[in-house]
Amino acid sequence: MLQLTDVAKSYPTPQGPLFVLDGIDLRLAPGESLALMGESGSGKSTLLHLAAGLDTPDRGEIVLGARALSSLDEAGRADLRRQRLGLVFQQFHLVPSLSVLDNLTLQARLADREDRDWTHHLIERLGLAGLEGRYPEQLSGGQQQRLAIGRALAPRPELLLADEPTGNLDEGAADQVLDLLRALIGESDCALLMVTHSARVAAPLDRCVHLHHGRLADRTP
Amino acid sequence: MTAPPAQRGRRRVLATTLATLLSHYRRHPGQLAMLLLGLWVASALWSGVQAINASARDSYARAEALFESRLDRIERRDGEPLALAEYLDLRRAGAAVSPLVEGTLALTDGEGASRPRVRLLGIDPLTLPGDSPLARRQSSGEALRDWLLPPHRLRAAPDVAAAARADPRLPPVEVDASLPPATLVTDVGVAQRLLGLDGLTRLVIAPRAAAELPATLVRIPARQLASPGQLADSFHLNLTAMGLLALVVGLFIVHAALGLALEQRLGLMRTLRALGVPGRSLVVALGLELLTLGLAGAALGILSGVALARLLLPDVAASLDALYDADVGTRLALPWSYWLGGVAITLGGLATAGAGLLWRAARLDVLALGHAQAWRARLARQQRRQAVAGGVLLGLAGLVGLWLHLAHGQHLVAGFVMVTAALLGVALWLPTLLGGALRLAAGRLRRRPLWQWALADLQLQLPRLQLPMMALLLALAANLGVSSMVGGFRVTFLDWLDQRLLADLYIHPPAERYAALESWLDAQPEVATLLPARHADATLLPDDRRASDAAPAPVALFGLRPAPVLRASWPLAATRDGRDAAWRALEGGAVFVNEQLARRRAIAPGDAIRLRGADGNVHRLSVAAVYPDYGNPHGEIVMPVSRLARQFAAPPGSLGVVLTADATHRDAALSGLHERLTARFGPAVSETLIDQHALKAESRRVFERTFAITAALNGLTLGVAALALLTTLLAQADARLTQLAPLWALGVSRSRLVAAQLGQLAACALGTALVALPLGIALAWSLVAVINVAAFGWRLPLHVFPGQMATTLALAVVVAALAALLPAWRLWRMPPRRLLQEFAAT
Repeated sequence: MLQLTDVAKSYPTPQGPLFVLDGIDLRLAPGESLALMGESGSGKSTLLHLAAGLDTPDRGEIVLGARALSSLDEAGRADLRRQRLGLVFQQFHLVPSLSVLDNLTLQARLADREDRDWTHHLIERLGLAGLEGRYPEQLSGGQQQRLAIGRALAPRPELLLADEPTGNLDEGAADQVLDLLRALIGESDCALLMVTHSARVAAPLDRCVHLHHGRLADRTP
Repeated sequence: MTAPPAQRGRRRVLATTLATLLSHYRRHPGQLAMLLLGLWVASALWSGVQAINASARDSYARAEALFESRLDRIERRDGEPLALAEYLDLRRAGAAVSPLVEGTLALTDGEGASRPRVRLLGIDPLTLPGDSPLARRQSSGEALRDWLLPPHRLRAAPDVAAAARADPRLPPVEVDASLPPATLVTDVGVAQRLLGLDGLTRLVIAPRAAAELPATLVRIPARQLASPGQLADSFHLNLTAMGLLALVVGLFIVHAALGLALEQRLGLMRTLRALGVPGRSLVVALGLELLTLGLAGAALGILSGVALARLLLPDVAASLDALYDADVGTRLALPWSYWLGGVAITLGGLATAGAGLLWRAARLDVLALGHAQAWRARLARQQRRQAVAGGVLLGLAGLVGLWLHLAHGQHLVAGFVMVTAALLGVALWLPTLLGGALRLAAGRLRRRPLWQWALADLQLQLPRLQLPMMALLLALAANLGVSSMVGGFRVTFLDWLDQRLLADLYIHPPAERYAALESWLDAQPEVATLLPARHADATLLPDDRRASDAAPAPVALFGLRPAPVLRASWPLAATRDGRDAAWRALEGGAVFVNEQLARRRAIAPGDAIRLRGADGNVHRLSVAAVYPDYGNPHGEIVMPVSRLARQFAAPPGSLGVVLTADATHRDAALSGLHERLTARFGPAVSETLIDQHALKAESRRVFERTFAITAALNGLTLGVAALALLTTLLAQADARLTQLAPLWALGVSRSRLVAAQLGQLAACALGTALVALPLGIALAWSLVAVINVAAFGWRLPLHVFPGQMATTLALAVVVAALAALLPAWRLWRMPPRRLLQEFAAT
């Protein structure tokens, strides 16, 4: 599903290039769930951005499905993201001017893959029934994150990339969101790459890898 | 036919992206309203001015198309109507002349209701030279028969056709769109009957046709006839410049509002990009959004512009009539190019205002897109680039100014380039100047923490406030510059009126009674001095001793008696050996030339000029002085009246009477003289008597009306600047809460926060006004010393009015306070819960 080979990424600083990722090799099978752990500044989010085609590596190859991201231009990477990926952010990044329903179906509509039954199912499962006409600011934090997950899953992506999806929630709400996330991933047969710094959040996933100073330091089967 | 899937997919992405971007305005309708308001105001002012210009051009084109301006005129030297016999004698001698009757006719509807006064022309289509458009219109047999035989026909300009139809005295009316406004044309016999004339006003003849004229008649070539042409173009150029200024100021609003709308949607755009919207699609969607807004703004603006033009056109028509004798209709006539041009200029302006934002949005990478910090870092770089561009523009203004000074150039376009470059250059420097002043002030306020915070916070707001402050700067500078110019013009013009209209009375007697009246007046006890005046036309020939490519030019000759009272007050702009020597030279055979002619032909005191009179004789005359002649578009030469009558066969003109009585007995003396004048010469002479006071009052009225439109546009431009500021303040009001909420939480009351907000803006506006003061004075200087000279041919002295400078400073604070009032009121009324939320969020 996703394969990273010898991937490196650096940022320019006055003292010379600072490598946030260096020699990353990673493979994720279809339907598999993987937790990417590490301290703040270890390069977790950078790796996620590279996998999503939001940024480009200095070196190495990233293959999503059968497509090497390096062979695609910006529009091609955007197309791939729209059609095959789902993204969930720590800050939710909902569109404040769209209603709950419009937010939930936004990516599906962009990808021309809107499925009314699946949308209805998601609304029910995410506990958003009756709230479709509200705006994001009228929802609680947990509801907003569930809506962000629904938006990512609405076009039935092959891979869900989640960046600290429960980082902004309390423990109870975080557990609810994670349970729901895992259940919906199971229903849609979608792979999951989740960035987190919490071992408790990472524990239920199929695999877990650690990033330390830009390198994959440890693997947990 | 269905589109291929890839194309359908792109369209779907574009449509969804556009709908998502526009949904922002659904949640922030005030922001959309401000954006449309900016576009509307900018487009309305520009369209209004263009509608006026288009209507005036239409009037000129129709006047130009009329046969009169293309034909030579033959008139009597004494100004009296021609007798029919004189016309017939010329026809018998083989001259291809055609009779013409002209007069003013008060229309009536037969029931005594007041109707417009129109210009009535009577023509003879049989003898009218064949290339005249009016002659061609009657070329068919049937049309000619209708024209010549009762009940005849009458052609009417569209604006007076309905009134003409209602007048029972007139023949059947045909509308002729090519006629100038308020003009009727009919057969010469019908016109004579309607005007109550026996003779003919003049004869016309094709320019190349030969005619031997008796000494009593004079032929005036078509090219010598006054045409609004270049001078009226200058007036319209000035109007266009004012409209352009309003457009630029309005577009500042648009730019500010667009920038804020874009900044507030950075997070949304980042999300869209993350969800798979290509950068190109995002930019195209933003472009479509601009296009939609632009079309809506243009439609609103053009319709309002037409309404504005309807309101202002009567004043403009009066100005053009007073300044250039140009007839402009008071009904709008708008060609299709006006409507298209209005849309194009609004969209073009919007593209200019929005292009930078689109470019920046396209260049920012998706991961930095959502960070306002990245946006602000770019703003800092932009400010540095702005200062450099401002320096380049100021350098350009300086170079053009130097060139104009060294080359003694009278180039209108170069003048406008200099003024525009200087205005924009200083505007681009404004944020740097304000930033420097704030840093300086903040360092001195360490013991007043709230003030110190207010100044530091104002520095943070500067990137957002810079555009409306630039708009305010331009509006204030234009306001001060144009007010100083108009105020200076008023002072100079009124002084000039006092100097030129010396006599208490002016009389225009019939030519045959002129000499008798002059002797009679000379003997009256109330009369201190008589100032006879005559007018004639001549041709100024190129100087045969100087290399010059100037063509012979028509000039007006004005004869006056250099009496001591006139010599003491007649203004002279330049002499070689002083005023007394100049007047002695005038009596000894020299002439004075007006400033317009002196500038146009580079004539200075001491030069010699050659004049060809109507009789063909050439006179070589020395120039003793140059005199100011405000408001006169024509070249004029002054000489003693006796010489003008002798050498140029000038017919009798007017008689000026200076009374002996002082101001307290003036009315009694005037009334006694009027009674005896009526008893001696009859009402035909006494009715031509004009009181100087009435003449001056009328001149002042015309002057004030002339600048009514300038004042209106000035006020509107300032209003637009206030709107720009209000737009920015309202749009950033929510974002400002994150700055204010922590202070509130620290114990600063809402009233003090509101006062701090108002104080911040007032200080910023005051700083802007302080920059606007020298800029406005520089603009006033450019207008009087460069633009005016190039456009009208005469220079005004620069007047600076301290009262207007104080008004400018006060206006800036009032504009800022008005714009800040609504956001401040909202902050004042804000429930503490909302501030608490902001505090928790920060």
